[in-house]
Amino acid sequence: MNFPLSMTYWSHFVSVAMFALGLLGFLLRKNTIVVLMCIELMLNAVNLLLIETSMRTNTPEGIILVVFVVTVAAAEVAVGLGIVLNLYRMKGTVNLDHFKSLQG
Amino acid sequence: MEAMDLIVTAVKTAIIYLGMVQVVPIMLIVERRGAALIQDRPGPNRVGPFGLFQPIADVIKMMMKEVTIPRQVNKALYLLGPFLVLFPASLVIAAIPFGDFFTLFDRNYVLQVANIDVGILYVLAIGSLGIYGILFGGWASNNKFSLIGAMRSSSQIISYEIPLGLAACSAVVWYGSFSLREMVSIQEGTLLGVLPNWGIFYQPLGFLLFFIAAFAETNRLPFDLPESEAELVAGFHTEYGAMDFGTFFMAEYMNMATMSGLMVSMYFGGWHLPWISDATLLQWLGSRNLLAALQVLTVIVKIAVFMLIFVWVRWTIPRFRFDQLMRLAWKNLIPLGLFNLVLTALILYFKGAA
Amino acid sequence: MRETLFMVFSLFTIAAASGVVLSRNPVYSAFSLILSFFGLSGLYLLWGSTFMAMIQILIYTGAIVVLFVFVVMLLNLQTVRENSPNLLFLVGAAAAVWLFSLMILRVLTRAIPNKAVEIPTDQLRAISKLLFTRYLWPFEVLSLFLLVMIVAIFAITRTQEIPQGGEKK
Repeated sequence: MNFPLSMTYWSHFVSVAMFALGLLGFLLRKNTIVVLMCIELMLNAVNLLLIETSMRTNTPEGIILVVFVVTVAAAEVAVGLGIVLNLYRMKGTVNLDHFKSLQG
Repeated sequence: MEAMDLIVTAVKTAIIYLGMVQVVPIMLIVERRGAALIQDRPGPNRVGPFGLFQPIADVIKMMMKEVTIPRQVNKALYLLGPFLVLFPASLVIAAIPFGDFFTLFDRNYVLQVANIDVGILYVLAIGSLGIYGILFGGWASNNKFSLIGAMRSSSQIISYEIPLGLAACSAVVWYGSFSLREMVSIQEGTLLGVLPNWGIFYQPLGFLLFFIAAFAETNRLPFDLPESEAELVAGFHTEYGAMDFGTFFMAEYMNMATMSGLMVSMYFGGWHLPWISDATLLQWLGSRNLLAALQVLTVIVKIAVFMLIFVWVRWTIPRFRFDQLMRLAWKNLIPLGLFNLVLTALILYFKGAA
Repeated sequence: MRETLFMVFSLFTIAAASGVVLSRNPVYSAFSLILSFFGLSGLYLLWGSTFMAMIQILIYTGAIVVLFVFVVMLLNLQTVRENSPNLLFLVGAAAAVWLFSLMILRVLTRAIPNKAVEIPTDQLRAISKLLFTRYLWPFEVLSLFLLVMIVAIFAITRTQEIPQGGEKK
């Protein structure tokens, strides 16, 4: 293996690591806002992979998909934080454990 | 030759950056004397002739003061705050074109720190980072006035970024380029033989939106809600003193200079003099480098005019109330910005069809 | 040179991303999130996609994280008590680690060309042309989606009654 590794390797590594970190935080953290941040981490991991592939193979579709992901992410965060604000107003906390009454 | 390029670029960058930093002391005296002029009082006139050395005295005072760190603050973020404001303010300058190019040892160098092909996006992106210094600084101060200032600042800057972006979008659609350099080159010549071929005559509404939003983005007076001294002591920088406060101050003036530079490049022809084309000027002057010097001078004068307007507006228009500020952005500026974008696209469409 | 720089940015991004997950204080999490997005934007830049690098900073750091920071500061959250490691916690951690090892194994075993690829510059014109011709419908649906989201946010965050003395809009 020659060093330094190629950019493709590093992109895949960063993408996987970021996705796993995001998943870890998503599953383990109790602060709803941090959980939302972790979702952003996962989305960005995917974005990196898309851009890497798009630039490496010279296909513009990847970039277009990323533009869509970014838009959806922005909307998702706005709605998510709106819901968190409302929950905080109702329960006085953002700890996920206190939101159990939301289940079905 | 490679090393030569590197050295010339480094020197050019240093000169442009140091030149932009000089905006701060100059504006310090201009603002104070300007305020005095408008309020019909003498203003600072004790230090040196006509009080011209006042900024030196101010700077020495700020540098000599002890940097105090209040006990209740979150130390790391408190100390980081001023630099988070200054850092983007200094970075943005890189995209402003100061002139066409100059020749040195038979090589051409652009009069710009970096000729970024998505220049306008770069300016908007980096410019939007300045808010973090205010947010983190205000929060770390652990003081309710600072926190309110920071909260206001974040909602204000997010709101006004939209009209700013829409105005910039219309300009991008109109010029067909993201590069500030290209935008300036398109603006050479005359329009119908009478007016200079400047962006303002094609995008008057866009300029108006950009102009208003620029005040909000730089936290200048009609929109200085984050630091409104009559309501919030000093807003987000209440707990800051000495040079930490000075850094916020510097960043504000540098932001103003960049915004002015942006307006000059997008709407006021950048380095072009009205009615005279670069080719004629080159004939008169006979030297490429003289022309470059003249172009830099032109840009500086245009920026200075905008800075004076900033001061003039600051001492003329009273501060908005927060709900008025939000209403202006969301109910007036954003619909106008969308309208302007659609109008620009339609005009271009029919121009292309004809 | 480019590879080394890429490595530095990669490690920086991962370090910042772990900061998001590991910090107790949500303000520090948000700060790490900014840093990691910066790192990502550097990676995009090194891939030659200047446009996406700028969009990353403009939208993610310039708007989305500002929203996060705004909400964190607005609620003035003290750190939420995290769970002590119980069974569920361990299962979650195991799931993440398992997925990570699966993916990293896949990355490492796949034949990725380990050589410097030629970096193209992005073709903004090609992208925008595609966006307004072949992908016009998804694009329009996206705008409709944004409109729906705006209405949804207003519906969600609207306070039920106008507070006494509040200005009626």
